[in-house]
Amino acid sequence: MNAVFRRLLKEKEFILLDGAMGTMLQSRGLKTGEIPELLSLTSPELIIDIHREYIAAGADVIYACTFGANSYKLAGSGYTCEEVIRAAVSNAKTAAAGSGACVALDLGPVGRLMEPNGDMSFDEAYNSYKEQIIAGADAGAELIVLETMTDLSELKAAVLAARENSELPIVCTMTFEQNHRTFTGVGIGSMAVTLEGLGVDALGINCSLGPDDLPPIIEELAKWTNLPIVAKPNAGLPDPNSSEYDVDADGFAESMEKLVPYGVKIFGGCCGTTPEYIKRLKAALAEKRCVSRGEIKISAVASGENVVTVDRPRIIGERINPTGKKLFKEALKTRNIDYILTQGIEQVSAGADILDVNVGLPEVDEKEMMVTVIKALQGVTGAPLQIDTTDPEALEAGLRVYNGKPIVNSVNGEEKSLSTVLPLVKKYGAAVVGLTLDEGGIPKTAEGRFNIAQKIVERAVKTGIKREDIYIDCLTLTASAEQDGVMATLDALERVKRELGVKTVLGVSNISFGLPNRELVNRTFLTMALQRGLDLPIINPNSEAMTGAVRAFNLLSNIDKNSVEYIAAYNDSAPVAQNAKGADNAPDIIYSIEHGLKKEAARATEELLKTDDAMEIVNKMLIPALDKVGAGFEKGTVFLPQLIQSATAAQGCFDVIKRRLTATSKTPVSKGNIILATVKGDIHDIGKNIVKVLLENYGYTVFDLGRDVPPELIVKTARENDIHFIGLSALMTTTLKSMEETIRLLHAEGIDCKTFVGGAVLTPEYARQIGADYYCRDAKESVDAARDFFSKG
Amino acid sequence: MFVLDKINREEALRYMGWRGRQPDESALAVIDECEKALIAAAAPRYLYRRFDGVVIDKDSVTITEAGIRLRGRSIAEHLDGCESAVLMCATISSGVDRLIRRYQSTDMAKAVITDALASAAIEQVCNAAEEEIDALFPDEYKTWRFSPGYGDLPLEHQGELLRVLDAQRKIGLTLGRSTMLIPIKSVTAVIGLSSSELERQKRSCACCTMAKDCKFRKTGERCV
Repeated sequence: MNAVFRRLLKEKEFILLDGAMGTMLQSRGLKTGEIPELLSLTSPELIIDIHREYIAAGADVIYACTFGANSYKLAGSGYTCEEVIRAAVSNAKTAAAGSGACVALDLGPVGRLMEPNGDMSFDEAYNSYKEQIIAGADAGAELIVLETMTDLSELKAAVLAARENSELPIVCTMTFEQNHRTFTGVGIGSMAVTLEGLGVDALGINCSLGPDDLPPIIEELAKWTNLPIVAKPNAGLPDPNSSEYDVDADGFAESMEKLVPYGVKIFGGCCGTTPEYIKRLKAALAEKRCVSRGEIKISAVASGENVVTVDRPRIIGERINPTGKKLFKEALKTRNIDYILTQGIEQVSAGADILDVNVGLPEVDEKEMMVTVIKALQGVTGAPLQIDTTDPEALEAGLRVYNGKPIVNSVNGEEKSLSTVLPLVKKYGAAVVGLTLDEGGIPKTAEGRFNIAQKIVERAVKTGIKREDIYIDCLTLTASAEQDGVMATLDALERVKRELGVKTVLGVSNISFGLPNRELVNRTFLTMALQRGLDLPIINPNSEAMTGAVRAFNLLSNIDKNSVEYIAAYNDSAPVAQNAKGADNAPDIIYSIEHGLKKEAARATEELLKTDDAMEIVNKMLIPALDKVGAGFEKGTVFLPQLIQSATAAQGCFDVIKRRLTATSKTPVSKGNIILATVKGDIHDIGKNIVKVLLENYGYTVFDLGRDVPPELIVKTARENDIHFIGLSALMTTTLKSMEETIRLLHAEGIDCKTFVGGAVLTPEYARQIGADYYCRDAKESVDAARDFFSKG
Repeated sequence: MFVLDKINREEALRYMGWRGRQPDESALAVIDECEKALIAAAAPRYLYRRFDGVVIDKDSVTITEAGIRLRGRSIAEHLDGCESAVLMCATISSGVDRLIRRYQSTDMAKAVITDALASAAIEQVCNAAEEEIDALFPDEYKTWRFSPGYGDLPLEHQGELLRVLDAQRKIGLTLGRSTMLIPIKSVTAVIGLSSSELERQKRSCACCTMAKDCKFRKTGERCV
């Protein structure tokens, strides 16, 4: 472990970082668009001089000129990442020799946006940083700085690359805007709890704003972390045209001095600052003392956007779990990720604070599915996730790609579990659920469960996990089978919370298994548990009785001050009459579909299923109704959003029919299997998703492979599932090549299939030229193509 | 600082295919809801910078001060007579991508509507940037904004424009693998500046490579 930076942390009242490198280079003739990092090789003296000026001005740490020295940004420059980093670190070391200054390997964003916003995968980001870190550490850097970051998942990839490929200390700074979020929406608290969990040495803010804008951001940051805080802002705000900054060296020092009371330990300057700024800054801090911040202890988990503190009852939604759910299992098998996302979004709108994610099914590659679902979920919801698996590989894979601080569900008192799960929890900085069972099963008594809880807490603390991050589950047993065990659970819960000082979690719904009117029992048990100190009920938040009980509890126990949340939830809940027709005159299926009324369509289907056959309903009512709307769309009397609304209403009917058929164990209605994919390199998938909605509601089963799909995956899916009709979409002229490549590979691999293609820039001529079988101008034509294909058998 | 408080409804409806007619009340209610959500999710930002030393060749333009050379006959024609150019870029943020993505999982109709509203919104952001540029250089004549992908100006130039403007750091705008801007609702463009009056070119389908096959155009609509 390199001790230079840590010694500085201990010995110095304040640590002074350097100022801008780019600004200095521009003033010495660097032209717009030139790659500054190359100067390390072409003009080393220039770079060494600038470092020396900063050291002379008082910088304790200098950043090597490596900010953009990665393979992506250097492509075509004629130099490798390793060459540039080696030269840059060596220049910095030359400048620092004899001065005592610490040389940092300075790494910025890769330059591409991460999934799901962009198309860079976690592994690509990780490998890019890994290459830089190995080169930098080898060249003798004494500290790794990850700065100007805006995406927490990219930063997490970088931190893991640093931890796994070097032993150097790590400093992370992100760039926040006036709204206290980064460009990709990361919140200050999310950054702090995630990075502290990952074990970095210091964290803070750089670039973005001027020093005058920082106090509220630093104040917020200090609420979430015990780590040393870094402030390295720009010299004010830039003029949009000239890029000159509006705060001079004196003004900068004066404003920075005002950050001292917030407990900032590490100061420096970003864009627009020069050695003069650092000199003034040093002078301004000379007589000051670093303000020590009291230790904070918080139980918190986070997504990239939001922190959820466990300082009051928080609902964990249990619905993303295949256990006992036929439709969910089906969705996992056909990779219907949208179905899973809908389950997530629904729970959050119903009141879930955290979502449990369990995708374990014998036929499914759990590790791959866990990664896919976590990535997809964090792209559409800001609720923190709880990774629920018994497979350590799936757990670690999920922990790596999770963009925030998750909960691990779970560890238990068995030695094997303790020794595999806890190190992962520690490494990835997660919180953990501890189940009070061990090799001997679940103890009957409260005492027995307490003892296991104690063992888990001790081992977790010994592994380096903070007490605040341990949530103990005293396990709910079924009241109908073990009635005398109910109180044991609650007694253990109360004792664990009081004596071990940890938070508690409990799956509630099990309590009523085998009893009539389960909801009543669940709700009563939930209320009893809350009263005994339950922090994290795992429930079905879509059940109004359960979510309502938590809301009412928060109101009655004076947590929801002035009943603000309670009133917000129920004030305007008076049902609004949606349907002009009366109950006796409910709209029929055809009317409902034509007018896009999903609920009404479902209700009408329920009614009709009492008398009519399911396939009859599909063929004689659903499809003709959709056809009528489709014909209107072709004529231009119906617009795309209406067409989709009609398809969505038809989906309401299909859901009812599917549920009925799966309940009676009949084969679900399917007119045929179809693969849909947006081709490799293309991430704009709205067109493909429109096609999917339509096809599904014409009764086809769609295997949706998503966007940016490699041709090999399409081949594999077609082969494994015996699918012969494949739809491809591409939006960009540049990705039409991938479409061509996909069709070529399907043929080369001997897949017996026909393809249908569509996309904004695609023409019928081009479609023919690349060997597609159907060119579809719009979603409606895709349905026509499917009909044509499947009618030919 | 540009504030997006209202979306150009007429423009958005055109993108949705409402050819001059008015959507009914229930559709309007959904559009209103989407507009509200879009405005809440959007964080519009733009960036521009003037560069001197425009040198026009037959099939390329060199912008000396920016250190870039733009290929193609159409950009050469577009900047004909200009001594300087303003490079600009704009985005309405990845929050909007996220919103549309969420709607795609829950309500596809809203996704389509929001996508159209967002397309109208990014135009408004660009117009605001252009007004600011107009005000900053009042004495010069300007061309309309020309983007990579128009005519024969390759999409690949987007990456250079972003780099010259330092767009990732300043407004969070990047390029994906397939030369697609990310966040999706974003624009890069070039505006020519001239001290003498320019032959008034108009933005039209004539300079678009898609003119022949454009589905939108076939319905009698124009996107410009």
